[in-house]
Amino acid sequence: MDIAEIPAITNLPPPPSHGEERKPLFSARGLTKVYTTGAVDVRALDGVDLDLFAGELIVLLGASGSGKSTLLNNLGGLDLPTAGSLTYRGRDLAQANEDELTRFRRDSVGFVFQFYNLIPSLTARENVALITEIAHDPMDPEEALALVELTDRMDHFPSQMSGGQQQRVAIARAIAKRPEVLLCDEPTGALDVKTGITVLEAIEHANLELGTLTVIITHNATIADMADRVIHLSDGHIIDIRTNAHRRPVRSLAW
Amino acid sequence: MHPLNIKLFRDIGKMKGQMVSVSLIMSCGLAMMIMARSLILSLESTRDAYYEHNRFADVFCDVKRAPNALRSRLTQIPGVAAVETRVSGKITLDLPGLSEPADGVVLSLPEDRPQQLNLLFVRRGRLPESGSRSEVVVGEAFAKAHGFEPGNTISAIMHGARQTLKIVGIVLSPEYVFESRPGETLPDNRRFGVFWMNERELATAFELNGAFNNVLVDVAPGEAPASVMAELDRLLAPYGGLVAYDRKDHPSAVRLSDELRVMRGMSVAFPAVFLSIAAFMTSAMLTRLIRLQREQIAQLKAFGYSSSQVGIHYLKFALFIVVIGITVGGIAGTWLGTNVVIVYRRFFQFPLLTFHPDIRAIGVAFFVSAGAAFLGVIGAVRQAVKLPPAEAMRPEPPAEFRASLLERLGLARFASPGFRMILRNIERRPWQAFFTAFGLALATGIPVVPGAMRDGIDYILTFQWDKAQHQDVSLGLLEPGSGSALSDMRSLPGVMIAEPFRSVPARLRFGHHSRRLGVTGLPKESLLNRVLDESGHPVALPPDGLLVSAKLAEILGAKPGDRIILEVQEGQRPRREAVIQGLVTDYAGVAAYMEIDSLRKLMREGPTVSGAHLAVDADHWVEFLDRVKESPRIASLAIKSAVRQSFRKSTAEMIGLIQGLYFSFSIVVAFGVVYNSARIALSERSRDLATLRVIGFTHREVAAVMIGEIVILTLVALPVGLVIGSYLASAIVHTASTETVRLPLVLTSRTYATAVLIVLVSAAISCAVVSSRIRHLDLLSVLKSTE
Repeated sequence: MDIAEIPAITNLPPPPSHGEERKPLFSARGLTKVYTTGAVDVRALDGVDLDLFAGELIVLLGASGSGKSTLLNNLGGLDLPTAGSLTYRGRDLAQANEDELTRFRRDSVGFVFQFYNLIPSLTARENVALITEIAHDPMDPEEALALVELTDRMDHFPSQMSGGQQQRVAIARAIAKRPEVLLCDEPTGALDVKTGITVLEAIEHANLELGTLTVIITHNATIADMADRVIHLSDGHIIDIRTNAHRRPVRSLAW
Repeated sequence: MHPLNIKLFRDIGKMKGQMVSVSLIMSCGLAMMIMARSLILSLESTRDAYYEHNRFADVFCDVKRAPNALRSRLTQIPGVAAVETRVSGKITLDLPGLSEPADGVVLSLPEDRPQQLNLLFVRRGRLPESGSRSEVVVGEAFAKAHGFEPGNTISAIMHGARQTLKIVGIVLSPEYVFESRPGETLPDNRRFGVFWMNERELATAFELNGAFNNVLVDVAPGEAPASVMAELDRLLAPYGGLVAYDRKDHPSAVRLSDELRVMRGMSVAFPAVFLSIAAFMTSAMLTRLIRLQREQIAQLKAFGYSSSQVGIHYLKFALFIVVIGITVGGIAGTWLGTNVVIVYRRFFQFPLLTFHPDIRAIGVAFFVSAGAAFLGVIGAVRQAVKLPPAEAMRPEPPAEFRASLLERLGLARFASPGFRMILRNIERRPWQAFFTAFGLALATGIPVVPGAMRDGIDYILTFQWDKAQHQDVSLGLLEPGSGSALSDMRSLPGVMIAEPFRSVPARLRFGHHSRRLGVTGLPKESLLNRVLDESGHPVALPPDGLLVSAKLAEILGAKPGDRIILEVQEGQRPRREAVIQGLVTDYAGVAAYMEIDSLRKLMREGPTVSGAHLAVDADHWVEFLDRVKESPRIASLAIKSAVRQSFRKSTAEMIGLIQGLYFSFSIVVAFGVVYNSARIALSERSRDLATLRVIGFTHREVAAVMIGEIVILTLVALPVGLVIGSYLASAIVHTASTETVRLPLVLTSRTYATAVLIVLVSAAISCAVVSSRIRHLDLLSVLKSTE
């Protein structure tokens, strides 16, 4: 079956404006993920209840093995929960098949990874074009690269760019399809502070300009100040959800 | 077991598909080499032992009639170790179950002295008893074709007299290893047989009492046959001796050495190509493995393993491939060789022809392929062990790319990113791309060979029997006859057209080269048996001079317009110069033609004929055959349709074998090359491919990016492969082109289509197998790692 024939999970009107009663974009209830490696069961997520709303910027904090990445992967349709429900716009992702998940990722989700995951044989522009070729209503690659301030590096190959530049290309690639969700797994993990700030600025920019629900995983508690809400995980449980009264602009962060 | 060896076997287990496919390609080359070398060894050693043990003569000579008293004089020729004189004659046979007459040769066995040369090997029964009457022993191939056993009788016409012969034994002779009429390409064992009987009885039958007409000579070790032959010629000339010849001109010996020459050609070129592809694939696969295990190598070195220990560990992977390749190749080569020997047994009659694996060839094969594999890997191994451990533990820097040539030329402006990935990947590893394409081209080329052979044989069948020969049957007379003999044949029942031919034994000389053959005289323009040029058009015989086979001109080193020396060996043995007026095309044996009257003039004879080509009315066919059987003067009869059928049958079997072999090789190479390069691509790009899956590419779209490279390489390889295949076929046809048989190079679209189809299907299956692995890519772990 061609991907175009697969019914879209997201075929809804744009997110409601402030003031109305807001419906969550993602809703998790009793979300559980058990990995079985050999004879050992690891409960990476253990009964997580969570609602995420359009336009929010969320930071996930927690030690290694706390379940942050598992949660992110489940949200992004890269992995399926073992138990519990996870709905996106009311549709249960836990029941979706492989093709529907591919469609979901293609249409609605942008990913940014710690190690950039650019295609080394493609230039910055082409890495972005990879997405814009298959997306439903994409921006031009040039426009996406301008959003991350890389207009002058468009025809460079990954091997010709610094880590921060590569990560900004990855962000441009993720937002070029105008996704409703942007998932970032330790986007600054491999970068120094100064470069990290420029990358986070790009993410913040996308969140504010496009109104994209943005979820950032980090080890770095300082980054949490840029978020609307900060979710703290430990041993597969949410142990704390903090709402920042005011988001601090990334520019003012330092660590 | 040493932990490193445990690691070796586990790693091998993980990449067994690749290991096996490379080993199989290697084993194709090795199988071919081991088969060919072993067949050469088997044939050669069996032949040499047989010739030695059964005292196959060195020099042969026919004579009209020489007195037995001359024998002792011949023995005294310097350099002669032994002499055997014999009576030989032609016989016609009336066999049950065969509507047409068969013919044969009957040779004498001495009664008053022990047989000295060309000793018979008695398979069953016994030799004729001295003084017995009508007892014969018969050659095994003919006996087998008719199911004759000792005790059976057959009816024969010997020198015009009908006689019943009693078979007392089934025998083999070193002079009839290839048991056929002299010069025939394929044996016709149902219609031609060899017999031996007591000398006195045979001499009486052929009116040669106290005389002989055939001489065999054993030349003493270290002596040159040439001087013996010259002296033999001198002594026998007064008795109507034909020119003596040695083993180089002996029909059976020539046929055998032709076969050996073909095998020798096969034993080198083919294996070399297969082994070079296998060596490259080993290199590509292990280079990739070493790159993936960079960190493990660093750890081993950090623990204190020396560079050479680590190096040897990786060379063991190559060794493993070679050992598997040799084992499979050895088994396959032995199996193939055993089967070819079974086919050989039908063509070549030996007391015992068995397959001897050439152990030395297996040893050479091992060292050659191990050497090639090591050469392919040593670079990557050295690079890996050279790195200081700390550096090796860091991941490799990202691969560098640049715009591909097509893009730099501005030809790929509208290409999708996926297509650009494909182009740039190809250009980044040009050698890998080259060898993948080369392997695929070779896989495409291989099946062209049996296709060309099959079509070549079809061409010969049409050329020889539809265009050249329009007769239904050719009759040969026992002795050349006069004009009345022709009118006798013309008046046989049902004969519509009869065209005479005259055949004279002769030797053609040009410079240092010479050839013994029969010069055939034909009417200037004939309707039935026609002489054709290369394009299959009839050539009129010139009133003067000769037309010769193109192959004969090549053997003599002569060309049209050259004057050659024609030494006739019959009658008054005239010796003339003659001009080669033109070349004719034929595919079996070699021939020289003259206009029949000009030949007769040369022979200073009247309207003599050796036989006639006839067109016979089908309604009178049975009647015609019955009359031929009754005619004592007719020595041989060749029915066109029967000869054609027997040719087709015996070649079909051979072609079937070759086709099966080449098709399997092609499939192994195509599948192996595609599978391997796809696996390497998958391993090198699993991170890219997983990223594509994560950002929303479907399984099929990702597979297209990976397979696209192979599709492009395949599309490039196919036309190149067809060209390679055409050259390969041409080379093999050339190698297999001997004096006894030649194949024309015929390449048809059917052959090309088959080759393309085989490669496309193998490649598609192989791609499907690998792309199913994309489904199992571990998306999450790939994204976490840094490669």
